[in-house]
Amino acid sequence: MFRYLPEQASEIAPKIDWINNLITDLSVFFTVAIVGVMIFFAIYYRKKDGVDHETPQIKGSHTLEWIWTVLPTLVCIYIAYYGVIYYQELRYVPDDAMVVNVVGQKWNWSFKYENGKETSNVVYVPVNRRVKFLMESKDVLHSFFIPAMRVKRDLVPGMYTYVSFTPVMTGEYHVFCTEYCGQDHYDMTAKLKVVSQAEYDEWVNYKEDLSAFTPVELGKKLYTGKGCNACHSLNGKKIIGPSFLKAYGREVELESGEKFKSDENYIKNSILAPNSQIVKGYPKNQMPAFEGQLDDTQIGNIIAFIKSLDGSQAIEEEVLPEKSDVDVTKLTPVERGKYIYQNKLCVTCHSLDGSKVIGPSFKGIYGREGELQDGTKYVVDDEYIKSSILKPMSQVVKGYPAAMPPYEGQLNDDDIAGVIEYMKTLK
Amino acid sequence: MAEGKNYLNHETTIWSWLTTVDHKRIGLMYLFTISCFFIAGGVAAILMRLELAKAGGDLVAPDVYNVLFTLHGAIMIFLFIVPGIPATLGNFLIPLMIGAKDVAFPKLNLLSYYIYLVGAIMALLAIIPVDWISAWLPEFLTNFLTWLGLSGPADTGWTFYAPYSLETGSSVIWMTGAAFVLGFSSILTGLNFIVTIHKLRAPGMSWDRLPVFIWASYATAVIQTLATPIVGISLLLLIMERVFGVGIFNPDLGGDPVLYQHFFWFYSHPVVYIMVLPAFGVVGEIIPVFSRKPLFGYKAICYATLAIAVFGFIVWAHHMFTSGLSNASAFYFSLATFTVAVPTAVKVFNWVSTMYKGSISFDTPMLYAMGFVFLFMVAGTTGIYLATLAVDVFYHDTYFVVAHFHYTIQGGAVIGLIAGLHFWFPKITGKMYNEVAGKIGWVLVFFGFNLTFLPQFVLGMNGMPRRYYDYPPEFEWLHTLSTIGALINGIGYSFALLNMLYAFIWGKKIAPRNPYKSLSLEWDTQSPPIHENFEETPTVTDYPYAYGVPVKEAV
Repeated sequence: MFRYLPEQASEIAPKIDWINNLITDLSVFFTVAIVGVMIFFAIYYRKKDGVDHETPQIKGSHTLEWIWTVLPTLVCIYIAYYGVIYYQELRYVPDDAMVVNVVGQKWNWSFKYENGKETSNVVYVPVNRRVKFLMESKDVLHSFFIPAMRVKRDLVPGMYTYVSFTPVMTGEYHVFCTEYCGQDHYDMTAKLKVVSQAEYDEWVNYKEDLSAFTPVELGKKLYTGKGCNACHSLNGKKIIGPSFLKAYGREVELESGEKFKSDENYIKNSILAPNSQIVKGYPKNQMPAFEGQLDDTQIGNIIAFIKSLDGSQAIEEEVLPEKSDVDVTKLTPVERGKYIYQNKLCVTCHSLDGSKVIGPSFKGIYGREGELQDGTKYVVDDEYIKSSILKPMSQVVKGYPAAMPPYEGQLNDDDIAGVIEYMKTLK
Repeated sequence: MAEGKNYLNHETTIWSWLTTVDHKRIGLMYLFTISCFFIAGGVAAILMRLELAKAGGDLVAPDVYNVLFTLHGAIMIFLFIVPGIPATLGNFLIPLMIGAKDVAFPKLNLLSYYIYLVGAIMALLAIIPVDWISAWLPEFLTNFLTWLGLSGPADTGWTFYAPYSLETGSSVIWMTGAAFVLGFSSILTGLNFIVTIHKLRAPGMSWDRLPVFIWASYATAVIQTLATPIVGISLLLLIMERVFGVGIFNPDLGGDPVLYQHFFWFYSHPVVYIMVLPAFGVVGEIIPVFSRKPLFGYKAICYATLAIAVFGFIVWAHHMFTSGLSNASAFYFSLATFTVAVPTAVKVFNWVSTMYKGSISFDTPMLYAMGFVFLFMVAGTTGIYLATLAVDVFYHDTYFVVAHFHYTIQGGAVIGLIAGLHFWFPKITGKMYNEVAGKIGWVLVFFGFNLTFLPQFVLGMNGMPRRYYDYPPEFEWLHTLSTIGALINGIGYSFALLNMLYAFIWGKKIAPRNPYKSLSLEWDTQSPPIHENFEETPTVTDYPYAYGVPVKEAV
């Protein structure tokens, strides 16, 4: 449980930890020594029986003053020297470093690789290769911090900054924003995945054929890929910005009192310059301007996607899970069930902590007994779960809305078996 | 003594207090006001710690949490600890310690109190959550508050970093405006003290006979006078940028956000020494008295005080090692920062050496002073990590920094203030507090404080960023410990302050003139002092630490 410093996942980490540990050793030594001497004096020279004893009028000592001025100075110079040397190493970037472009904006990290591939809130790098993260901010100050790599640098709007390091251990590491940037600063985190060069090459060169998708589907991809989903729901729920459900053609009232029906122009303008028309009751300056980040085709796709959210279809069907690099057939049943839970949007309505969201919580669900809307009793077993997934409307639990879409044709028997195994683990 | 005339019963009407130019009364009024803000800032801290006790959001929403840490920082810094020791103990003691009747400009002193009050009221206005409560307010009131530019409490952090502070909808202008006004109060106090110490010393009170508390107050006053205008100007520029759209810090308007940080820290680093130098002075007064020994290396301590004040001005950008500084300036600021470590270490060595061959008693002030030495060792040594460039890159803006500056400011300045209040309590009030209760308070404060902030060092070492509303689950147990510590710490402070308040109002034990047999001038008058301080102007023949039996080899 107790860990002194994070794993040493970069080439420079052991060096920085060496100087860090040296300071710790010296600090503990001097603190214990000085406080120890103080406590010793306090006890040894304490006033006894409430009467002061005679004390010598010692006013000071030049020799001692010199010693304890020069000695700390030498120690300080030694430490400062190594601090500077390793800092230079931290800031050094060889010419052949692999460059990843990083954009920070409230409260989302996006990454762009040399071949144009983009990711959001997760970044892949190959092990044992120097990387340079070239960073820019779209709004306020942010700071890019990977504890395991011992690197940190602020993102300053209006200038490029960078961090550079050589990862030496594969694995998954925290990325934090460490410069306060507003409401969800705490949530502006990402994952750094260090993988082998072969895995990295396979991953980075995997390209989706975009021509196979309709504009609506492409719009959906942008919706999650650009982080719109952090603030705009698809189910009518108010998160930070207005929901996208029925957002097209909706009666809009602005802060200024101006009223009109939302149309293509309004949506486009809201994407490019969001603060120019804030809907009444919503906070200002939360959404970054996407001017220069999205081209007209992309904006058209998003508009098509929003138009499709007219409420005619159950919302869960609207978002296809992101095309992923996970092969579910290689997972254990429980892992597979968990994967489906997270990626088939079960997570939107079924909590894991016992709280009621839209549907019943999955916590302790297996074996649960209760009453359905039509008054019949039920016990949650394999058969019940299977039919609830495939034909939810046939057995809605009393007190819950009939809101779940049927998953018939979307999940096969192995998927469902995985979900059942996963549910059994949720005690 | 209580039956005789003194500054407390010299006049008794409320009007006589509000219009007093007596430095002792102004000191007490400051003490009362800053104590209120200490409680307010403390409540914000406790709410924050309760929210963080467990992972996940349980108590408040993220935006409320952001307001809480902003208020905690802004209130504690600008309204409590910057006025802190100088405005309370400094006001009360400086004329007494140098044998003067009052400060050089008594009316200016009162003015600086009222400027402080105006700033405090502006800060209070900035706290009104207009947006959240507008539904319950009459419409004209909401309109009026909105017209004033008030929307809701600032959520920028006490640093008001641009460009976030330029765009957030909260009452940033009022909060920075308050800090701007409070700066004037600080400047006037500093100016007053400088002139007082130069011009009003009693006959025989040469510079090499000044108590170290006076040296510390003098150095502090110099920093107050020279550094505060910088923050005033930068906050004013921030306001101009918000109100008139003048491009100074906002890159969209051609400004530079890093420039704001330079401006801000050019004041806000020296301000750390405004907070802790007086506390060094307090400890330097307490240890010799309770050791019955001369202060070891008196001159070295005075030089160290001045050195810290000077070096404090040339190290500001060590707050910005990750902000986009060039390598060359990063190297310079790292090396310069280490120069502060040396005089600080010299002071600690001298305090401990003072106790050698002493006759040491453990009254409450001495316990606080010894606790201070430990806490400041931790504060100082953890400062070394942060001065070291490569290591600071790792710790910057993590809980390590939070723990470090709480050891410095709370462990240093606040503990110093509490130590001083206990030490001079008999002089200020003419009463004695309950010694056992004082010691219990010390135990609670000391234990609670360390339990709060030692886990935060470990959190920082593991990479936990500061100003986070929620955190990964592996950090939870350390946060829980820290919250328990904060509650104990809060109880400790309440206990210590209530003990003194009780003794002040209902205490029966009357303090003699000089309960500790101190050689310093302030004890050479009755407790509490008469309105004019001394019956007749005292004459000084030696420095105030000539305790013990003279030895030949003394330097």
